[in-house]
Amino acid sequence: MTMRRVENGIVTGFTVIAALCWIFPLYWALVTSLRSEENVTANPGLLLDEFNFSSYMSAVFDTKLMIWYFNSIGTAVIVTAVVVLISMMCAYALSQIQFPGRRLLYFVVLGSFMIPAQALVVTQFILMSDLGLINTWAGIILPQLIVPVTIIVYKQFFDAVPKEMREAAVLDGGGEYTILFRVYLPLNWGITTALAIVTFIGVWNAFFWPFLVITSEDMMTIPVGITQVNDAFGVAYARIMSVAMLAAMPVVLAYLIFQRRVTEAVMISSGIKG
Amino acid sequence: MGVRLHNVSKEFGAFEVIRDVSMDIPPGSFAVFVGPSGCGKSTLLRMIAGLEETTSGTIEIAGRDVTQVEPAERGVAMVFQSYALYPHLNVFDNMAFSLSLARTPKARTREIVHEAARILKLEEQLDKKPSQLSGGQRQRVAIGRAIVRKPEVFLFDEPLSNLDAELRVQMRLELTRLHRQIGATMIYVTHDQVEAMTLADKIFVLKDGIVQQAGAPLELYDNPDNRFVAGFIGSPSMNFLPAEVVSVEGGSVAARTLGEVAHTWRVALTQSRLSPGERISIGIRPEHLKLSDDGMPVRVEVAEELGDVSYLYSRIADGTEIIVERHGSRDRLDGKNVGVTADPANVLAFDEKGQRLR
Repeated sequence: MTMRRVENGIVTGFTVIAALCWIFPLYWALVTSLRSEENVTANPGLLLDEFNFSSYMSAVFDTKLMIWYFNSIGTAVIVTAVVVLISMMCAYALSQIQFPGRRLLYFVVLGSFMIPAQALVVTQFILMSDLGLINTWAGIILPQLIVPVTIIVYKQFFDAVPKEMREAAVLDGGGEYTILFRVYLPLNWGITTALAIVTFIGVWNAFFWPFLVITSEDMMTIPVGITQVNDAFGVAYARIMSVAMLAAMPVVLAYLIFQRRVTEAVMISSGIKG
Repeated sequence: MGVRLHNVSKEFGAFEVIRDVSMDIPPGSFAVFVGPSGCGKSTLLRMIAGLEETTSGTIEIAGRDVTQVEPAERGVAMVFQSYALYPHLNVFDNMAFSLSLARTPKARTREIVHEAARILKLEEQLDKKPSQLSGGQRQRVAIGRAIVRKPEVFLFDEPLSNLDAELRVQMRLELTRLHRQIGATMIYVTHDQVEAMTLADKIFVLKDGIVQQAGAPLELYDNPDNRFVAGFIGSPSMNFLPAEVVSVEGGSVAARTLGEVAHTWRVALTQSRLSPGERISIGIRPEHLKLSDDGMPVRVEVAEELGDVSYLYSRIADGTEIIVERHGSRDRLDGKNVGVTADPANVLAFDEKGQRLR
């Protein structure tokens, strides 16, 4: 019993230390963003000695933050909607419709899941360049539409729907689209919401690809825009941290509201829970 | 015209599940496919529904060849074992699903669904989700979903299997009443021969994808064509004993059981020509066995006394189990040795291939 208590104490201690390490940069960023630029430079420290929103005002009015917000929301919403829709349709076909080459197609999806996105960056960049899509929303969106893990998770869920549901709908005169949207989708709202949120957060936070494909400040998304705050105003710590805080806000809000669903989706897509 | 199958076969790869099945189900009748697990009864039903493709042969519904017709256009509705209700829709929407796909006007849909709900006593449940209903109510919703389509043929795939024993009896009665009320052709699949006997106008007994015998329930019970049907129909099932013909006198054959207990049974046979020394199987239903001092000796292992009826689970000396059904008895026979006999008219005989000898 005592041994168990000691073990629990050690595990709790490590967890607390890990949590502190993780939260420290966030705390520091928040404190820095709430102090004036002069104060941060003159008295670098960890304590919140003033509540000053000047860096936030500056971030909103002196940078293109609102445009970057718009670009981020636009691209994230479009990518999320299209990814969920095409993944759902692809997974339904792989799960429910018998057609030649179905297994092969599924292996292609699985195979593409195993190729890291970075390995395709050069080819994708050349392709986007050839298509004249550099510095466009389409340039940001198109390569991000390939999310095999969403297809795999959806297929797993569609496979679990009793086949009688589909057969009953077939006998009732339902076509494949009717069955997908009126039976399978409502039966899987939970996972659809979860996948949509995870996809949205992923796209919102995406930096690498948008950083490569966008050079015009007016087309930047927030994560890319933050780098411009640095370049344009020198090292303005408070302002950089304010932009970072504002950039993170929608994601934090989405996470807080849909915490349970996000955790569920992450666990399912990482194979912890089937 | 009801449902007619001509030489229908179904293969899954090299495995033939349904073998050259032909049958005629008259309109308005209640047909039951019965047989052990894996006999192909559900596959045959699914082929009629169009959910399984037919490898060869033709299926006709109401005089129309539907072998290549889409399931929704065959004029059939199916009730599944698992009910297959959509959990996200309430009872009304579940029942109205096919009508909404057919773009039936809303007022008409309401009228049809309420009429079906009235027949099935579901009027109070229309706003509830399937998860709020009992097993019996769910089954009624599944039947309601079939009724609203006004099909030529209702198909039931073991619809009562998920219900408890009491509810199953109740639903069986309700299905019989429903059949009489709407008068449509119904085809029902079950592995439970009691359900088959109580519901059917005509039973089709299947084994290994072949129809072993088709006929009215009592016809199959009294006059089985082979040993499989004789053993499958009736509960407790028929007792079988291997025997050898010892003498033939006109319409009466004497057959002696093989093994340690060489008891001679008399069998009434009018058509079959048997000669002494031939091996046969004799079959006697439990209710046709009577206790008699000069009967075949058996030892009663367990006597189940149910009040009106008792079952004596007995064994003869070589270990073969013999079940005897008695009515109104009050004597406890557990562990006792008794003799059993039967009227020759109630002793059936089967050849070595299991075919009935008459």
